[in-house]
Amino acid sequence: MILWKLAFRNLRRNRRRTLLTLAAMVASSSLLILSLGVFSGMFVDMLASVTEQYSGHMVVAGKGYLDRREMHATMDQAQAVTEQASRLETFRGASPRLRSFGLLSLGDRTQPAEVLGIDPTREIQVTQLHRKLVDGRYLDPDEDHGIVLGVGLARKLRAEIGSELVFVTQAADGSIGNDLMTVRGLFDTGSVANDNGLALVPLHWLQETIALPDQLHEVAITLKDPLQAKPTAAVLAGRLDDRLEVRDWGQMLPEMAEVIASYGASTLILSMILYAAAGLGIVNTLYMSVMERTQEFGVLLAMGLHPAQVRRLVLLESTVLGVLAMVLGATLGFFLTLWMKTVGIDLSGSISSITYAGGTILPRLHAEFEFRNFWLPSLLLLVTAVLAGWLPARRAARLQPVEALRED
Amino acid sequence: MALIELEKICKTYRSGNLHVPALVDLDLQVDTGEFTALAGPSGSGKTTALNLIGCIDQPTSGRLRIDGRNVADQTVPQLSDFRLYQIGFIFQSYNLIPVLTAEENAEFVLMLQGMRPEERQQRVRPLLERLGLGGLENRRPSDLSGGQQQRVAVARAMAARPKVILADEPTANLDSSTARELLELMRELNRDEGMTFLFSSHDPLVLEHAGRVVRLQDGHLVGDERKDG
Ligand SMILES: Nc1ncnc2c1ncn2[C@@H]1O[C@H](COP(=O)(O)OP(=O)(O)OP(=O)(O)O)[C@@H](O)[C@H]1O
Ligand SMILES: [Mg+2]
Repeated sequence: MILWKLAFRNLRRNRRRTLLTLAAMVASSSLLILSLGVFSGMFVDMLASVTEQYSGHMVVAGKGYLDRREMHATMDQAQAVTEQASRLETFRGASPRLRSFGLLSLGDRTQPAEVLGIDPTREIQVTQLHRKLVDGRYLDPDEDHGIVLGVGLARKLRAEIGSELVFVTQAADGSIGNDLMTVRGLFDTGSVANDNGLALVPLHWLQETIALPDQLHEVAITLKDPLQAKPTAAVLAGRLDDRLEVRDWGQMLPEMAEVIASYGASTLILSMILYAAAGLGIVNTLYMSVMERTQEFGVLLAMGLHPAQVRRLVLLESTVLGVLAMVLGATLGFFLTLWMKTVGIDLSGSISSITYAGGTILPRLHAEFEFRNFWLPSLLLLVTAVLAGWLPARRAARLQPVEALRED
Repeated sequence: MALIELEKICKTYRSGNLHVPALVDLDLQVDTGEFTALAGPSGSGKTTALNLIGCIDQPTSGRLRIDGRNVADQTVPQLSDFRLYQIGFIFQSYNLIPVLTAEENAEFVLMLQGMRPEERQQRVRPLLERLGLGGLENRRPSDLSGGQQQRVAVARAMAARPKVILADEPTANLDSSTARELLELMRELNRDEGMTFLFSSHDPLVLEHAGRVVRLQDGHLVGDERKDG
């Protein structure tokens, strides 16, 4: 009790020095929290570039389809899959799809494209392409010959809204499937793969064109919490018939899963580098204050304070400093992250988007909240403060009362 | 049995290869209730003797017993507790903890002993009154005069009712009238409460008040006179 009182008052004694040390600690932890938030934002962007623009968080398909994308490996259990999926705890939406690879032409220009047959009302529960339109409109529910495609693809074809494209591909029955499509809208996602090679068409139209009536290739599913995809996929797989398989985004994008997993280690290393500096600052502050108080420690020891209590006193001072810095740093870090999440910094003037590990990093600084971005830096800061107090504390505890008293 | 017994105590300081004999074969006994001064010129070994008796320093040789206990046999924590419960210190200066108020300083030893706040106050308030510190309870040492600071130190040393109070030149930093006041006060407390005082000084004023004067010179005991009354 008396030690607490002494510790608090000692910290207030040299207010400026304490505040400076505190400021350094708060700055390092809040900036660390902010940068982790920006990393999280980057990962969310990367993940979203794939899951929200194309794959969803999980995909259900006939066994074998996902590895080879072989046209005939179809499924027809759309009803059952949707029903089971909608019972999942974090379920958000499911979209049945049929896929075809073929050629799109306009005049004398031809481009290869991935054409995805979708049900517009279902697809908007899974991907966000309808929000990325830069021209025209999305597919209507009763659309017949409409097509929505990426801006890159449109540019190469010199297509615009209302252009008539010819789609040619091989149908399931061996015939050549072809038809005329009217361009309804253009999307710009920032992801090169999507913008240059993806087109959306009505599901029933594609089923007819490639002679796969009532057949699907996959059902894409989104969840409220993408980080739950792996366990949820396992649960769903158990409830579906065994001609189907379920993959989560981690399995579809192993590289990205790895990047996100290795982020934990990077966080730790980054924190330690930052805190090494802050830690030295605390060591210095406490050493100075211990040296200045040598005579006082002599009096305390002569009064009957045990050396162990002297050590505890100094450790208490560093711990109080650490806890204060932890609370202030987390608070400041919270507001910085909030600011970076709501306002952010647009970098599209100076850099363009980068494709990395199968995802797209958007040219912006933008933060996302994640609980671990707070507790990890905070806890490490406290540990740093306590460790930094250790050496000065040991020195104070080893003082000989007579020598300490003689000090001037 | 005497409260404090020094038997052939030697203390030699080493600085480099220089050996400074600060105390040489000192034999001394102090009984409970004494008001004794250690006198002698500068460098004669007064502080050294008090530090040994206060268990904050160890003799080079010889035997020191306090209250029947051989000090050399005690562990470090035992010595801390011994100081906490049996010994009160008053130093020449830098006595008080700067971040604590006068009252908190006076209560400090009691707090370390774990006494409850009400009890502490009951013990310390009258003492502060008596020492003329009423109304100054909440001042920090930096806002007290030298004499007031020394009186707080006396209150702190006395509050825990130790077996002996050791005071190393308690009046050296005080003007003579403040010094006289402090001495009379300590003498009074010695008479009223029967507390043992052992202090050092080369100030004739202090020696005047002492009930017994032990004289040291170059670490040797050269005189021991008792006054009556
Ligand atoms: N740490 C030390 N190292 C070396 N010599 C010391 C040390 N402390 C004291 N001495 C020497 O021991 C002798 C006795 O010193 P001490 O401080 O006990 O004398 P004192 O009687 O208290 O003197 P003063 O009246 O000046 O306070 C002196 O010669 C002093 O120089
Ligand atoms: Mg001295």
